[in-house]
Amino acid sequence: MTSRANGLETSHNGLALHLENVVKTYEMGTEQVHALSGVSLDIGQNEYVAIMGPSGSGKSTLMNMIGCLDVPTSGSYSLEGEPVDDMDDDQLADIRNRKIGFIFQTFNLIPRSNVFHNVVLPLIYGGVGKTERTRLAEEAIEKVGLTSRMHHKPSELSGGQRQRVAIARALVFSPSIILADEPTGNLDSKTGSEIMAILDKLHAGGHTIILVTHEDDIADHAERIIFLRDGLIESDVRKHDQHGQSVSHSGRPASNL
Amino acid sequence: MRIALEIGESLNIARSAIVANKGRGTLTALGIIIGIVAVITTMTAANGLENTFKQSFSSIGADVLYVSRTPWVNMGDFMQFRNRRNISLADTQGLSDALQGRGVVNPAINTRINLKYESKTMETVNVVGTTDKQIIVSSITPETGRFLMPFDIKYKKNVAVIGSNVAEVLFGSVDPIDKKMKIGRYSYRVIGIMEEQGGSTFGGPNFDRRVYVPISTFIKTFGDRGGRANFELAIKAPSHEELEDFEFEVIGEMRKVRKLGPTEEDDFAVNKLDTLMGAYNSVMGVVMLIGLLITGIALFVGGVGVMNIMFVSVTERTHEIGIRKAIGARRRSIMMQFLFESSIICLIGGVIGIILASLLTLVINALLMPASLSPTILLIAVIVSILVGVLSGIVPAWRGARLDPIEALRYE
Repeated sequence: MTSRANGLETSHNGLALHLENVVKTYEMGTEQVHALSGVSLDIGQNEYVAIMGPSGSGKSTLMNMIGCLDVPTSGSYSLEGEPVDDMDDDQLADIRNRKIGFIFQTFNLIPRSNVFHNVVLPLIYGGVGKTERTRLAEEAIEKVGLTSRMHHKPSELSGGQRQRVAIARALVFSPSIILADEPTGNLDSKTGSEIMAILDKLHAGGHTIILVTHEDDIADHAERIIFLRDGLIESDVRKHDQHGQSVSHSGRPASNL
Repeated sequence: MRIALEIGESLNIARSAIVANKGRGTLTALGIIIGIVAVITTMTAANGLENTFKQSFSSIGADVLYVSRTPWVNMGDFMQFRNRRNISLADTQGLSDALQGRGVVNPAINTRINLKYESKTMETVNVVGTTDKQIIVSSITPETGRFLMPFDIKYKKNVAVIGSNVAEVLFGSVDPIDKKMKIGRYSYRVIGIMEEQGGSTFGGPNFDRRVYVPISTFIKTFGDRGGRANFELAIKAPSHEELEDFEFEVIGEMRKVRKLGPTEEDDFAVNKLDTLMGAYNSVMGVVMLIGLLITGIALFVGGVGVMNIMFVSVTERTHEIGIRKAIGARRRSIMMQFLFESSIICLIGGVIGIILASLLTLVINALLMPASLSPTILLIAVIVSILVGVLSGIVPAWRGARLDPIEALRYE
């Protein structure tokens, strides 16, 4: 773990993930639904990517795939050069544990556990020793500015604070990718921008961040915007400055949030 | 390291889950409590019955053979023994001579007859005509006074040694020693009272409701049907180890005394405590098996209750399972979380059940019979409750562990 944590700052040119012709098909009764119909994608380390697209475009499926919550029907997916598409349940759990940090729209904290326990949980599942995991968890909590709330339950925290706990949990194991699914969806705009500021800072600190969002101004934080439609990549645009090229969003249904 | 952490975390979750659902857990544990109490009480009752049985036959003695006309335990046709000759006093003498002092032979004859002291009567009490050797062959001693002595037999004295129950019922607060009582129509002087034997609660022979008189006096007063009255011989073997060999010797000598030809079958029976215990054990084995089967059903129903609640618990925690899986919990972590929960509920139920069963055992002990809770029974109860917990948790836990993380995360 430490070797990767150290390498995080320097290996900007390595590939974080590589998808090749990924297809995902669901059986809905007798019908086959193509959620992804052949997506090829490379994301380098320390990239800041936003995945956008209308409902049903396959962006949730793509996010689940990247997050190793799901495996492709066909095609291949490798994370830091390691193929994950043939892994079983427990191997995928290990990959999620060490290489993926999830940030969800609904925070998804364990309600009965306090901030510290929520953050330390991935390290417990990863088998990290007590002193080491306490240090890492406290560090992560400090990064999101919640040291004073360490022993509070999620129910005693505001929405923004809860999301910061989720961020601390996501980065505690120094993952390859931080995967944020509508991270500001349940927050007011002021708290939302605070959260985005933290993500920006994490990116600046060397983390690879993948955002899934409906909102243009959230996507604007990213350096690269991938737009999905009907299970295919419609556009993949890299920005070189904050207000450079933007992608046409015409025809995209209004956000239902 | 990792598995230890997962176990710790699973225990932690299980504990907080149980604490969070105290009411539900208590009701669920109730099923296990009832089951464990039922099972333990069955085993204790069986143990108590066995103790009672052993106690009521304790005066028989493990190293004593009893030669009688018919066997004590007869599962078959009683009619086959009907035409056997009685065992006479002459047979007793013959066997005693043949054994040449190798074993102590004591003849006894008994009848059921009414006792009377002043205005009080006791009906159909077992009156045993015996000799001074009675206290050698059976492990009983008089509590007060004395037992029969050789001169009582020689001079056909009208003396009686009474059982503790007879003393209690017939004499009450009066000291029976040297009092005259009536056995049938004949007057006897009480010379001793036997120690209490106890343990006749369940229809076993009541050794306390007995009167011992000299065999000679017995024959004189009640007759011996012209020397053909039926006696039972108690023969104390030189040692318990030699009992089996000694039994063959007794059978051989008895056949000679009874003048049986080589092709004739024995026309007498040799009984011993083992025969009784064997018969008892085979009956009790079946009774206990049925008891455990029935009480096992109670435990099974309790287990089904736990399983039901575990399904509820898994469903309630579906979203949490999703979160845990997303951040890297393996299947076994999720499984352990629920297995610990069900096992702890059952273990708590089991421990409460053990406490209640112990109290119940005290009550049984005080009111019914000498029952006791052995450490083995307790250990079995603990193991069984954990086992029920694991078995009833395994299917719900497996269902939780197999949940698809995406579906589980979506579940609200």
